[in-house]
Formats: sequence, structure tokens, C-alpha cells
Amino acid sequence: MSIKLTTQAYCKMLLHAAKYPHCAVNGLLVAEKQKEKKKDSHSTPILCVDCIPLFHGTLALAPMLEVALTLIDTWCKENKYVIAGYYQANERTKDFRPNQFAEKVGARIAENFSEAAMIMVDSTRFTMGCYEPILTIYDHHENKWKCRDCNADCFEDWCEAQKITSALLEGRSYESLIDFDNHLDDLRNDWTNPEINKSVLHLC
Amino acid sequence: SVCKFISYSVGVHKMRDKLRKWREDNHRNSEQIVDVGEELINEHASKLGDDIWIIYEQVMIAALDCSRDDLAWTCLQELKRQFPGSQRVKRLAGMRLEALEKYEDASKQYDSILQDDPTNTAARKRKISILKAQGKSAEAIRELNEYLEQFVGDQEAWHELSELYINEHDYGKAAFCLEELMMTNPHNHLYCEQYAEVKYTQGGLENLELSRKYFAQALKLNNRNMRALFGLYMSASHIAACPKVNATVKKANVKYAAWATNQINRAYQLAGRGTKENKCSVKAVEEMLESMQITMS
Repeated sequence: MSIKLTTQAYCKMLLHAAKYPHCAVNGLLVAEKQKEKKKDSHSTPILCVDCIPLFHGTLALAPMLEVALTLIDTWCKENKYVIAGYYQANERTKDFRPNQFAEKVGARIAENFSEAAMIMVDSTRFTMGCYEPILTIYDHHENKWKCRDCNADCFEDWCEAQKITSALLEGRSYESLIDFDNHLDDLRNDWTNPEINKSVLHLC
Repeated sequence: SVCKFISYSVGVHKMRDKLRKWREDNHRNSEQIVDVGEELINEHASKLGDDIWIIYEQVMIAALDCSRDDLAWTCLQELKRQFPGSQRVKRLAGMRLEALEKYEDASKQYDSILQDDPTNTAARKRKISILKAQGKSAEAIRELNEYLEQFVGDQEAWHELSELYINEHDYGKAAFCLEELMMTNPHNHLYCEQYAEVKYTQGGLENLELSRKYFAQALKLNNRNMRALFGLYMSASHIAACPKVNATVKKANVKYAAWATNQINRAYQLAGRGTKENKCSVKAVEEMLESMQITMS
């Protein structure tokens, strides 16, 4: 059915957008691989446990996206994750609708994971306090993307997500967030962001 | 004491040098510029000499980025006072209006600059930025094309245009812009690499082969460009896997891909030395390359 987000996943998405306020940003969401498909799998939401920030700036080029998808797919297999979603924040604040590129990437992910979600970040409602969730979630139904309202139900624990994301924004943790672009600039930059993961855990 | 005075001065020099480096590199790290610049301006203005004016300009632009209109206004007033009637300062006033989303007023400001000086490229580019900010991509592209007919050597403009085209998925025209840039900057590895990425995205065997050539060229110009290295690997792999190619071409591309694999592995080994976190990256890359080689053969 629909996806839910953990604090860590939500946090890193927003930190990515905050690090590059003047650019478009995008990334992937990963979920734990389900052991077997249950008969009533429609009722259990998929939990996106982590977020991998990918690029900032010009998004619509293929080669590095392919590299990232393949590499992260391999990493997922090792960690028993599956790529479950794609997020994007457009360059212009007022532009919060998915574009052709977002739909393409989303569709590609949906090929491997039928319940994949496409998430657009609404920067007009982005505040330091994080008082409301600023995402729009799109689910893939019959080759179309259907918009779903994002409220506290879309989170494992919205109160925790709100508190921790706000704290990390205030502390300017986004300055140390690494995306795949940063990794390509210097391979020592770790796109799994272990330090930020630790900070999130520490605040929980 | 004398020691305290010296360390104080060194601090100011360091901050000033930081700002200069960020200016030279055209870094848009606006929060940091505001942090450092605001302190310099408020506490150490007297020690900056003539540098203060360019610092006011730099800090003002960074302040606009951070919605610090208070700070931007202060900088603007200082600049207006020191350089009355300056076109450069007028442009900054226009940028402030843009930041406040008063696009019509900003446009009028730039028009008045252009009335006095029709060749003022900065004002023309700001007008195009307004179109971009308003989401009027088609108009921005048209205006930028017109601008480039007149100012054909403006590299920043060619690059901006290539990005606008990429965002519109008009890869052919983006490639053309990058070709202009490569012609005038044959040693710039970034332009080569970006051109290769556009060609790859365009797709088709011919474009893939071109992309492979330009990824290779980018590597020749800078052998540490990881995007070029990955790009070489991806393009050569896809060509080798393509059923249309003959055995010679396939063999050659398998060789290129194998060479790239080696280099990528080496680069990751070098980077991963000493950090256990990066071990997972190294492993992931090795597995990725292995799995791709299987699909290639």
C-alpha cells in the first residue's frame, strides 16, 4: 500500500534541501526488504528507514544517476534493503509539482518495487520549526501517479521526526550532509551519512 | 598587550582571506559568508582598508540569499553613500528587489541602467534571471539566445543556457552550448565531461560513442575526474553490450570498460584506506562492476 517514513529518512531529506536552498535536489528512499509477500500485504505500510541524498543542481542527466542507482542497489542488497522511493525538491520554491524527470525516475524504481512512492518537497512550507510535514507523496497506480495527502500518519513517529529535524536544522547539521555529488567530488565523502545517523539516534 | 593585538589582527586577516577565496571561487556558501562578513563589517571595518567595499558587495548578496534584508540594506546604504550614481550599486539595489520578489520594480531598475548604458551585460543577465525565477523558461531561453548573439564570448551565459536546455530536456541544444564552451576552453575537463553526459543522455549508439570519447578526453585533461571515469565505464559497457556493434568495436569497448574498472577500484581503494566506513563503498563498487560485466558478456 503506502509508505511511511522514519525520522532518519525524513530528516536527511530536509537536510539535503536545506544544504542547497538555491538548487534542485533529489535522492532515494530505502525500505527493509520484506521476507515474504503476505496475503494481506495491502494493509501493512512499507517503512522507509533511510534516505540517500543523490544530486543537487542539474538533475536531468542520465549517466551519474545510473551509476548511483546501480551502486545503491548493490549496497541495498548487502543490507537487505530495497529502493522504495524517490524524492525531489525543485529549484524554484513555488514549483512543488513533479516534473517529467521525477516521473521517469519514479517509474524506473516502480519497475523493481511495485509500491514505490515519489515524493516532492514543498519548499514554500519549509521552516526551521518543521511544524508540519512538507511532503507530497505520490503512489503509482496503473501507470499514473496519484497524489496522497501527507500528514502525521505518514510517519513512524511524527512528533519525534518534527523535534529531531528541527533540532538538526538549528544546529546546521546540513553543512556536513553528504550527497552522491559530494561523493563523486571526493570518494572519501560517505553518502550513507553515518555521523548524521548517529546524531539522529542520539536525539531519539 | 602586544600579543593580544597581534592575534586579533591575524584573526581579521584570516577572515578577510576566507572571504576573498570564496569570492574567487564563486562559492555560494551564503550562511558562512554572512557569519564571517557580518562580524568583519561590524567589528573590524576600520582594519579592512579599501577591501571593505567589495566585502560589502559580497556580504550583501549573501545576505539576500539568507533573507537577511536588514544586513543587505545596511551594506547597500554604505555602497550608495560611497559610490553615488554607480551602475554596479544600482544593480545590487535591483537584486535586493528581486530577493523581495518585487520583480517589476527590479526590472525597471535594470531598464534604467540599460537606458544609460545599453551594453551593460550585468543588467541584461539580471533580467533573464527574473524570467528564470518566475518560471518563464521559454522566455529566459529566448532572451539568453538573443544576448549571446551579441555577446558571443560570454562563457557564463553559454553555461547557463546549457543548463536551461538540460532542464527542458532539449539535450541537442544543450550539447551545442557545451560545444561552444569546449571550443574556447579546450583544456577544461568539466566542459568535456558535461558534454559527454549530455550525449549519453541523448542516447543511441552514435551518441554513446561520442560520450565515451569525451569522457576519455576529460580523463586525459584530469585523471582524477570520477564522473569521467564512471562515465567512461558506463558508456563503454553499454556499447559493448549493444547487439548492433561488430566484434572489433565490442572488443575495444570491453577493453576500455575493463581499464576503467581497474581505475575505479584503485580510486576507491585509495580513498578507503584507513576508514572502515568506506569499506562498504569499496565492496559495493566491486560488486556493481562485477555484475555489470556479467550482463555485458
